[in-house]
Amino acid sequence: MKSLHNLTIRKFHEGLLKKDFSALEITQKFFEYIKIKDIEIDTYLALAEKTALQEAEKTDIAIAKGENIEDLAGVPLAIKDNILIKGLQATAASKILKNYVASYDAGVIKRLKNQHAVFLGKTNMDEFAMGSSTENSAFKKTKNPHDITRVPGGSSGGSAAAVAAHMAIASLGSDTGGSIREPASFCGVVGLKPTYGAVSRAGIIALSSSLDQVGPFGKTVEDAAILFKAIAGYDPMDATSVEKNYAHNDALLSPKLENIKQLTIGLPEEYFVPGTSKEVTAAIEESIKKLKSLGLRFKTISLPHTKYALSCYYIIMTAEASSNLARFDGVRYSRNEKADDATGLRDLYLKQRGAGFGAEAKRRSILGTFVLSSGYYDAYYEKAQRVRALIKNDFDEAFKSVDVILSPVAPTQAFTIGEKVSDPLAMYLSDIFTIPVNLAGLPAISIPTTSNLSSLPVGFQLIGKKWREEDLLGIGQFYEKLEL
Amino acid sequence: MASPINKTTLTHLAKLANIELDPKEEEKLLKDLIEILDYFKELESLDTKNIAPMTGGTDLANIFREDNERKSTDQGAGTEIFPESKNGFLKVPPVFN
Repeated sequence: MKSLHNLTIRKFHEGLLKKDFSALEITQKFFEYIKIKDIEIDTYLALAEKTALQEAEKTDIAIAKGENIEDLAGVPLAIKDNILIKGLQATAASKILKNYVASYDAGVIKRLKNQHAVFLGKTNMDEFAMGSSTENSAFKKTKNPHDITRVPGGSSGGSAAAVAAHMAIASLGSDTGGSIREPASFCGVVGLKPTYGAVSRAGIIALSSSLDQVGPFGKTVEDAAILFKAIAGYDPMDATSVEKNYAHNDALLSPKLENIKQLTIGLPEEYFVPGTSKEVTAAIEESIKKLKSLGLRFKTISLPHTKYALSCYYIIMTAEASSNLARFDGVRYSRNEKADDATGLRDLYLKQRGAGFGAEAKRRSILGTFVLSSGYYDAYYEKAQRVRALIKNDFDEAFKSVDVILSPVAPTQAFTIGEKVSDPLAMYLSDIFTIPVNLAGLPAISIPTTSNLSSLPVGFQLIGKKWREEDLLGIGQFYEKLEL
Repeated sequence: MASPINKTTLTHLAKLANIELDPKEEEKLLKDLIEILDYFKELESLDTKNIAPMTGGTDLANIFREDNERKSTDQGAGTEIFPESKNGFLKVPPVFN
């Protein structure tokens, strides 16, 4: 199994071309390994062995025929369970969608299928992506591969853990307030949240439509870049997606050091405050030192409205979530037993949703209903939209004097299972450094630091200007080379 | 200032959100919501009078497309997952009793 542990998308692709192994052989090995390892980690909600092996074989046939293959051909990937793959379950880790099977492919899946990527299975998550620890899944608790008494982060905890535990080469997650970056930091992998609009949201089970973005997890920044490039681009099925021609941007995968050296990195004083653990602080300082050795310049900046971001976010997100979750009514999707003896339509809704949603989904639906209700709309929802504008303006101002912003991803390393589960506010605070990015619609990446005071991973966050993923991925790729 | 939420408003909100709550859930939820809404109070101190609300995640205004015929999802796709159906139609419980 040693070979699986070293595989990146790049190495896998080169190995295929050199005929060191076949795609089928590697895919089979992944399933063998998952069946042993996942008993301990609980990453996958469903495996797609039959279709994965068929798809892997197609790549082998293409190679045998001497055809050109794409970078992602045959690459075994794990996909978060709120992303639709036709014919496979898509539960978003909710009981209310327990029996739901997708009848079409998400926009990102169509793109990956065009490259003949292989989907190993669907990964665990917080129910409807609501959470920061994957403990809100209705089905199981995923463990952190570095310490199984700890959470993998969330909500894309399954996708992060799958890559960290070598149960997939790379994976897809979704990020509404940090749900890619925080688990990437906790699990020691790379996670990219793209610019809002860079990647199609069509076929994603929506949490908060103005904040959600799909993005990649990889073992290396280069892998995250390959996967990002494959999924980015305009999709007519998502009215908020934008064509930015990422497909022809060579800087994403082949950054030039002379360009990267020109970038100035901002350090927001509001993000370096007491409350961040000493392990995280030390790791961030170390990564700054390393980036300085690349020739990058640093500058202290201010994002003055940072402290309002959490309140702003939880008003906007719950408002949008309450309306997105309204569709799960027991009529069109799966129905649970408790709703079977409902008397009339209203009773069916109440019983279906009462029995089908977990505590956090109920909390957010009801809070969202409150902030949108007449009498409170102006004081909460509209107020939050105005504060959102202020938070975005902070970034616009900062980006006049810097190109990229660096900060911690989360105030702590992975916490223990159960530690924050009964205190929603404590859990929400895990996302304090990642939330402003979603409110402003910016791209950001979590990259593992190498030095820290404990054996648990810590990531640092780079936040970029809109549509400038190439800056983050470029710095990251040179940072990675420093490690060697 | 008293919290804008109490047991009566919570019951009303749960009804609006179409979510049945048992008494134990209601108790925990009320405590959480009071605490969360109390946290939100920090926004009150911020003057936002002259700030236009940011209403979405994108700078895009309208998107236009040609009004042409185009291929849509196949009729029938998705009907296989209806909990109850008849001849490809969705079965819904009676709306009026």
